Amino acid sequence: MSPARDLDGHRYDVIVVGAGWAGSLVAKRLGSQGWRVLVLEAGTTTLDTWAGHLDAMNTFYSSLIKVPNAPYRANTAAPSPSVLDTVPGKDGHGYQALGYLVQDGPLPYGTDYLRAGGGTGMHWLGLTPRMLPQDFKVRTQFGYGRDWPIGYDDLQHWYCEAEREIGVAGDAAEQTEEIGLPFPEGYVFPMHEIPSSYVDRVMAKHLNGKTVFDSCTDEPVELRVVNTPHGRNSTPNPAYDGGRGFRPQDAVGLPNYGERCVGNASCTPICPVQAKYNPLKTQAQWSRKVTLVDRAVVSRVLVADNGRVTGVEYQAYDDPATPVATTRTVEADVVVVAAHAIESARLLLASELANSSDQVGRNLMDHPVMLAWGLMPHQVGPFRGPGSTSAFERFRMGESRREHSPWRLVIANWGWTWAAGSPGSDVAEMLGIPDSPFKPRGKARYGPALREQLGDRIGRQVAFQFELEQDAQPGNRVTIDRRHRDALGNCRPILSYDLSDHVKKGMRAALDVSHQIFELLGAEERTRYTSDAPSYFEYEGTGYTFNGAGHGCGTHVMGDDRKTSVVDQWQRSWDHANLYLVGCGSMPSIGTSNPSLTMAALALRSVERIHQDLTELHRPLVLRPTPGYAHPTEARP
Amino acid sequence: MTTGVPLTATALASAATPDAPPAAPPAKDVDRFVRLSVALTGFDAFELHGTGLAEFYLRTVVAQVGRPAYDDLRKALEQAGLDPEKLEGDVHQDLARAVAHLWYLGVWPPLSAAVHAELRRQVANDAFTVAPEAYVQGLVWRTFHGHPQGAKAPGFGTWAAPPPGEPELPQPGRPVRGHGGKTGGGR
Repeated sequence: MSPARDLDGHRYDVIVVGAGWAGSLVAKRLGSQGWRVLVLEAGTTTLDTWAGHLDAMNTFYSSLIKVPNAPYRANTAAPSPSVLDTVPGKDGHGYQALGYLVQDGPLPYGTDYLRAGGGTGMHWLGLTPRMLPQDFKVRTQFGYGRDWPIGYDDLQHWYCEAEREIGVAGDAAEQTEEIGLPFPEGYVFPMHEIPSSYVDRVMAKHLNGKTVFDSCTDEPVELRVVNTPHGRNSTPNPAYDGGRGFRPQDAVGLPNYGERCVGNASCTPICPVQAKYNPLKTQAQWSRKVTLVDRAVVSRVLVADNGRVTGVEYQAYDDPATPVATTRTVEADVVVVAAHAIESARLLLASELANSSDQVGRNLMDHPVMLAWGLMPHQVGPFRGPGSTSAFERFRMGESRREHSPWRLVIANWGWTWAAGSPGSDVAEMLGIPDSPFKPRGKARYGPALREQLGDRIGRQVAFQFELEQDAQPGNRVTIDRRHRDALGNCRPILSYDLSDHVKKGMRAALDVSHQIFELLGAEERTRYTSDAPSYFEYEGTGYTFNGAGHGCGTHVMGDDRKTSVVDQWQRSWDHANLYLVGCGSMPSIGTSNPSLTMAALALRSVERIHQDLTELHRPLVLRPTPGYAHPTEARP
Repeated sequence: MTTGVPLTATALASAATPDAPPAAPPAKDVDRFVRLSVALTGFDAFELHGTGLAEFYLRTVVAQVGRPAYDDLRKALEQAGLDPEKLEGDVHQDLARAVAHLWYLGVWPPLSAAVHAELRRQVANDAFTVAPEAYVQGLVWRTFHGHPQGAKAPGFGTWAAPPPGEPELPQPGRPVRGHGGKTGGGR
């Protein structure tokens, strides 16, 4: 046992559970305010050196299926789920869940996360759209899901702060004009927008100004290709911050490296040059008040008789391959759990805390992604640039939300890679190699014919990702059962997941929109949902499949009533005044935007409150100073 | 710098070969392997040698199926005038598929179960990427003027340019909006 990780009896101002995105931001801000912060990370921290980063690159190159967790080392002490864990059911119907997550719901939760320093933010795609003002009041305005206790205006300042921390590249004026997003007067993003891809330009040429119809409501929707704000380095905007400009953050472990995005086209799972923001860049800015301890799996949050939490119990291990752990305890005035929606819920359930509302673990959400793909009549230059640079935004808003889930219609830049495993699957198909050694082999093409036909096929691939809003449902939940444990004896998450009819109806409308778009493009539609896929379901006679987006949300939702929500608007537990649950789990609805930016804004907003709490806690009882008396905050080291 | 990985990435180069490489095959062997690979892949000898992996791929093929089976394939293909269409027999066909697959993706594929059995292979019939660098040098990306995802990055903004033979197109939305792209609104 490394002595650095034996913290028995140590005391900090704040303990942060999880060195991911939210935890890294909280630690950075509180540390810079002078508070002594301990960050406990369940996984390893091999990625914050350049050697560790290159090791992940090699693992990525070598992996057969380049899924989001492919570059990152497996860890038996702190296991992570993989999107490959949900496989077809034994009789060719339904699904089986292998791996870390136990699943017993009607449909599979096909999303992963990463338990390692930097967290799931290591393999995010890098898109930072804000939520729409109407997304915060879906129950009141559209009659589904749950309302937030706060609105867009409460988050405006914190969105701007989050965009600074991440280094967002985008065109704020276009966001206002095309989506109606309000910004402070004269606001620009830190960096100019990431250029729209050639695929986007082809879409705009064929589709801008054209109208498609929502088959559910007969509502006409005008198509407009809109550039997406990104969390990746572009060209800094000199007009940012009242003319002070912006300096991008360089790569972690290799100073003065990590310039603008150079188009590696592998944002998920890993940006080779670290032009894409990742939480390790925030950790690099931590003050010396912040202590990071890795390979420390928090197994319990400890609570006193008065309801205040006193610290945490954690299991320190050395070797991720042979998990043998020593149990330690450490104390603090405030505990911040920021371990990912599913892991935070699991920890609270195991600690039997914060659950007087019976909402811990409930309302699990993701953005179910329905893919549609086809072949254009000409070359479009796929597999270049970031995974997506633009989207059709008008399906996110409006009265049709009463009828069905809205969606963001994302233009994919990487051909059929997600939809069909291209280009590997194209090569195998043209060589007549089936997906099993026991199936008969087809006739192979060789030589110039192979080369030309592959180029013709792959170069014309286009795909759309319909990322649907999932409404909060109490039955979609994380539970634990002492019979299902991991190698250290911690309870594994048990998931029960399904899609509501509101979502399924949205998929039906989305599929109809995809038919209209392929028709307008003059493209050959290749979308095919097979009944042996793990996520296959039928709705009103039509079969669909969907993928997880990696956007786990909603397991400790915020609200304005302690009887029906887990945390208040500051992400502070209703039941324990010095316990904060920070992350996507606090979101009562998720709109159609990738949630990381909103999560970051919420985390920064909570820091203000935590700082106030701590300051109040250290305020002397005698407010009038007596001679010779040292103020506790002045006496701080 | 516009390459994907900085030059400090020497680990990549060394990772392409096992710790104790077996004796290199004679240059003549490599040339003959490249000649049959030209016929299978449709890429010329200069391009195949340019991957830097020809010798390593030959070693991989021999390690996977054994010297006699590889020699059989080579002779059969040479006797067929280097025309893969004239290859006969499931074993020859499946090995030809595997060699082409290896060049295009850097991945050794599973053979058909029957061929695997007939060759009495001692290794598992599993797909694997033969080396990290083999993924990077996969030929498939060149068929559509692309680059391997995660390597050989073409530089900032290059994804906006048309692929060869296609017309330039304007940025979406630009001409329609009239705000000059400067500031956000105050709505």
